[in-house]
Amino acid sequence: MLDMILSQTVNGLILGFLYVLIAVGLSIIFGLLGIVNFAHGAFFALGAYLALVLAREFGWWAALLAPVLTGGIGMVVEVVLIRHLYGKEPLLGLILTFALALLIEAILRMIFGGAPLPFSAPRFLAGFVEYGPILLTKYRLFVLLVTIAALVAFWAFLTYTPFGRIIRAGSRDAEMVGLLGINLPVVFSFVFGIGCLLAGLAGLLAAPLWTVTPSMAASAIMPAFVIVTIGGLGSYAGAIIAGLLVGVTIAMTIQFQPEWSGAAMYVLMAAILLVRPRGLFGEKWERFE
Amino acid sequence: MTDARKPSITRWIGRRSLLVGAGSLGASGLVSARLGMPYIGNAAAADPIKIGMIWAKTGTIVDQSEYLAQGGMLALEQRNNTLLGRPTEIVWLDEPNPQGAQQNAERLVGEHKVVGMVGGALSSFALAISAVAKKAKVPYIAANAATGELTGKSCNKYTFRLQPPVDVHVRVLAPYCADVGKKWYLLTAAYAFGQDIKRSFEDYAKANGITIVGADEVPVGTPDYSSFILKIRQAKPDVVIGGIAASDLTTFLKQWNELGMKGRIPFAEISVGNTDLWGVGPDAADGLYTITWYYKNPNNPPEEQAMAAAYEKKYGRPAADKAWMGWMGMKTLLDSIEAAKSTDSAAIVAALEKWSTKRDGLDVHYRNFDHQMVSRLLVAGIKPKITDKWDYFDIKAELPKTTADIEKAFGSQAESACKMDAV
Repeated sequence: MLDMILSQTVNGLILGFLYVLIAVGLSIIFGLLGIVNFAHGAFFALGAYLALVLAREFGWWAALLAPVLTGGIGMVVEVVLIRHLYGKEPLLGLILTFALALLIEAILRMIFGGAPLPFSAPRFLAGFVEYGPILLTKYRLFVLLVTIAALVAFWAFLTYTPFGRIIRAGSRDAEMVGLLGINLPVVFSFVFGIGCLLAGLAGLLAAPLWTVTPSMAASAIMPAFVIVTIGGLGSYAGAIIAGLLVGVTIAMTIQFQPEWSGAAMYVLMAAILLVRPRGLFGEKWERFE
Repeated sequence: MTDARKPSITRWIGRRSLLVGAGSLGASGLVSARLGMPYIGNAAAADPIKIGMIWAKTGTIVDQSEYLAQGGMLALEQRNNTLLGRPTEIVWLDEPNPQGAQQNAERLVGEHKVVGMVGGALSSFALAISAVAKKAKVPYIAANAATGELTGKSCNKYTFRLQPPVDVHVRVLAPYCADVGKKWYLLTAAYAFGQDIKRSFEDYAKANGITIVGADEVPVGTPDYSSFILKIRQAKPDVVIGGIAASDLTTFLKQWNELGMKGRIPFAEISVGNTDLWGVGPDAADGLYTITWYYKNPNNPPEEQAMAAAYEKKYGRPAADKAWMGWMGMKTLLDSIEAAKSTDSAAIVAALEKWSTKRDGLDVHYRNFDHQMVSRLLVAGIKPKITDKWDYFDIKAELPKTTADIEKAFGSQAESACKMDAV
């Protein structure tokens, strides 16, 4: 049994990293722009479909462009739609991004149909490695490495680059940053694009594992919201810790109570919010405490 | 820079907004059921006959529903959208969940005044629609649902079911699984369809000296099966029996292959759809299945071959089994309206009870005592090498063969839990 628990824990952590990648883009957009992006799952699906098309037309390596294209589409969406919401009633943002999610899903269904489409991992990532009771596939290890690299790169970008400092300053006091002559609309478009790029990257990495259908957005968006809520709204570190926690919780529930595995993350969220209403790493919110 | 650019609006959005919004996303199917659900048909014609169609436009079964709906629409188009000399149109509403299916069935009856309904992609949806059909006294064809309850204890005079129930599929497939090995692991969906499969295979195992070495119920929409597969791997069964539907099966098979299980432990499942395997891809496709219909089966009657050709011409891809089921379910309803020469419910029900067609010597019809269609099933394995991106199956058998075998597989009236009221 100990072997099985160890095996499930490692498997849950790797699954958790994929969830982290899905959630962290959502967390960035909320933390820096204040937009609750309900279309995040749709950008995840968009990333998977773009990867599929690029791989089919130009080979698997071309699929790596899919996140960049998703980010670019995200920037266009920010310019055309999202930027008009800053400072407005928050509910408008919820409604608009919700409608955007439905629209993207409908467009994908119109172009590709509703049936699942095949998409495999590249041949060189086929196979698996075993360490005692632990079974790891090469592809999941690849997902793990890419996720860690993406998270570290974004953290370093925010922390050490001048543009990252502008983003962080803009999230604290946009007016003052604007008075310094910095073009904040461009900065915010870039931030929204980065969030969508991460969603697209998650879609690319999940496509060989999950089923590529327009409805795959739903498989991503609920875990993303749960993770962001558990971690604390807008918290980068919180999203990472919460994602890993959710992955391990699901794996353990499958081991002992499989029929509850679909509800496990919601129970975890409820338990954490009861003890700590702002989430694990959330800022102190006067309205909650 | 204006105040409107201030990201400090993050302070305005509370956790309540986020969670309320997330909840609303979960209910998205219900919302979308109210948004933009189109009429299919000729809106210009006066006083048309309306046929209700309820197939998912959102949710986990939507991938199969597209084919089911296209098959249904094709059946009406083949009649030039006309019944009894009157223009006829299909009103297609969503079934995001059982409650949404029930609400939309009520809308079809109350708001759109349909004379019959076809739909119910999942067993839980079909049971919900069936309850409305019974209450409203409107004929209903459940073309895809396989739970035994639909034509068993929850049967009613207005509900007819096309797909053979789970028990029949299991009686056909289980002997093949027993030939593979005597230690089984069950992986079934945590709702009526999966629970029926679990019960039915357990009954067979008990009666035939087979050991169940593990059994997991899987929530619908599970995106990652790796933890389930690790459990199966540790249990070392001779064969894994699946009971998960649509895109869930596709996801499972992809991850089954990814974790190196393809070819190591045989996998078998009843009642799969072509689209489930098309989505898996040739590299990961694996297993032994029962399927209801196959577009390349040479035993398909000329009318079905014509339907397959018409479908392929119109949609640019072969007719999946679900396209046939949508077509056949709609066709039996339309045939019966024509035969009844009326849109009166009782007359259509009576005509459906008399409807029949010949298939390779078998009289295919809805049985009067439970309204279950009697037909054969195909046992199919995945081709060792897939060269055509649509043609995945080798047909191993078409069963049951004889009328006596069919009665044994479908069960007799004495064995049925159905107690049907009069119209």
